Amino acid sequence: MPDLTAAEPAIDVRDLCVDRGGTPVLKNLRLSVKAGEVYALLGGNGAGKSTTLAVLMGLLRPSGGSVQVMGLDPATQADAVRRSIAYLPETVALYETLSAYENIAYFLGLSGDRPSRAEMDAALDAAGLQAGARTRRTGGFSKGMRQKVAIAMALLREVPVLLLDEPTTGLDPAAASDFNALVGGLRERGAAVLMVTHDLLGAADCADRIGFLAGGGIVEEVQADDGLDVLALHRRFGEAAAG
Amino acid sequence: MSRFAQELRLFLRQRLAVPTLALLALLAAVSVAAGVTEIRRQAETIVRIQPLQAAEEAAVSAWVSRDGDAGNAAYYTFHATWDRPSALAFAALGQRDVAPYVLRVRALALESQIHEGESYNAELALPGRFDWAFVLTFLAPLILIVLLHDLISGEREAGRLQALQAAGGRAGLWTRRAGLRLGLVFVAVAAPFVAGAAVSGAAAAEVLAVLAVASLYLLFWALVCLGVGALGRSSVANGAVLAATWVVLTLVLPALAHIAINSANPVRQGVELTLAQREAVHAGWDKPKDATLTAFFRVHPEWRDTPPVTSGFHWKWYYAFQHLGDLSVADPVRAYRRGLESRDAWTARVGLVLPAVGLQTTLHRMAGTDLAAQLAYQDRIRAFHERLRRFYYPYIFNETPFREGDFAKAPRWEEGD
Repeated sequence: MPDLTAAEPAIDVRDLCVDRGGTPVLKNLRLSVKAGEVYALLGGNGAGKSTTLAVLMGLLRPSGGSVQVMGLDPATQADAVRRSIAYLPETVALYETLSAYENIAYFLGLSGDRPSRAEMDAALDAAGLQAGARTRRTGGFSKGMRQKVAIAMALLREVPVLLLDEPTTGLDPAAASDFNALVGGLRERGAAVLMVTHDLLGAADCADRIGFLAGGGIVEEVQADDGLDVLALHRRFGEAAAG
Repeated sequence: MSRFAQELRLFLRQRLAVPTLALLALLAAVSVAAGVTEIRRQAETIVRIQPLQAAEEAAVSAWVSRDGDAGNAAYYTFHATWDRPSALAFAALGQRDVAPYVLRVRALALESQIHEGESYNAELALPGRFDWAFVLTFLAPLILIVLLHDLISGEREAGRLQALQAAGGRAGLWTRRAGLRLGLVFVAVAAPFVAGAAVSGAAAAEVLAVLAVASLYLLFWALVCLGVGALGRSSVANGAVLAATWVVLTLVLPALAHIAINSANPVRQGVELTLAQREAVHAGWDKPKDATLTAFFRVHPEWRDTPPVTSGFHWKWYYAFQHLGDLSVADPVRAYRRGLESRDAWTARVGLVLPAVGLQTTLHRMAGTDLAAQLAYQDRIRAFHERLRRFYYPYIFNETPFREGDFAKAPRWEEGD
């Protein structure tokens, strides 16, 4: 795992440009996330949130700018970068014919990790998945349960960077609140969390900073502290997205 | 648990994985059982014919020995020949399914005896026998397509692709998965074959050679599946493209090639040779004896100075026009054979570009059930028939009495013939 100094951001995006089919999606995007920080990246549909994640994972090559994840360039060191990150898609798709334990063993096995049953239980406890569900096939799991399995995987891998793609979409308020608490727990463990979302309220609940992506770049970035006026922010973001 | 074991568990938990492989293994097992049964039946026929041959010979001997007429001995004695199947014939029946593997010949005109057996069962000849080669050539690729068409696209459609890639699953993962599926298909096809080979007593080297050919063929289809999958289309599109590829490569192009080869290499039917020779032989009855014998002595001067034919019917004259009957169709027989060999050579060339054709050609050659094996059997029959003539002609042309003890001196078909 690459070592970073405390001052260096775990995720460092500078003037990132991405074209897709000749159309610019990201234009000079700048953002950074430090270890122990949760950054919520908000934006409308097609704003480029998922594109940003794809670049960070080395699945998409930028047309300009620089990207560093734990000091590594995803475009040229994709495998090393992927060993440093955990990715939670909007819909966590597990192998439905495998149990929670078996899914964890499978996905972690891809990167060479072989957690013991006790280690898996500890991670699943931290993620909040009931003990009785862990040996069941995940075909019957709710979205929240699947996310808990995915979070447990991230915890087991002890990765320094988590990328969350619309994690609370489709969750009921209680499950979303549970999830936000879980993200808070990841922060306590020192992970750098980049969460792209439509959910401003959820972002305000668990993020340290919120950036609004529009027109290919961050148009506004705020600290998500107790004094944040979510309704006013919602209006401003709405105007930025429209304009 | 190793990565491979995890992949195996994941694969076996898929709803259709086990039934699909089981179906392939079942079809392969049925084809092997059918092949072993057919070859065993042929081998038993060959064994059964020998005591029957001896019994018939004893009956002819008892009757012929009374007057010692060598012409009668040669006319009424059938001599059994056979083409024993190889230990691999069960897997690829080839020509053994349609061409004679037992032929009883007399010292009469030969070519009609050889070719009158070439009355193919059209229903069998059209689709070919359901043998192991058929399962491997046509069905195994379909199963591979079922198992590999959505290798990557299925993960993309299920929403797991990015997670797999982010978890470190890249080329190694797909290689492992494709290799596992390819390996399981190979085992499903190969296991029944190995069992059949063990029952048939095939040599280990022969078995390994067939398995190597089979694995190359399956590897070709796996690469086709992976190539189509790499284009990034949906699983449905991949399935459609691969199904169309299968139809074109295993059915349409081989059929077109077959038509083109047959059109470019016209060959008379074997039965036409039989008819031509029969007509030549029957015309011999109406020709002057002197003309027939003069023509015969031209090719066999060693019998020219034997006692002359004086009676209305004499075996010398009869066997002479039988012999001339063979000579009269010698050119068409050579042309027929050249045509068949030319077709075979072109089929082998087509096999270099069409894997299904190449596989079947190779398996039939390895199993000794190809056209070359059939023609070799005919050549052995011709050589044996020549020995029969050389045996009987001194009795006939020197008018030497043929006694009971002479039957034992007659040439016997042996395995080396």
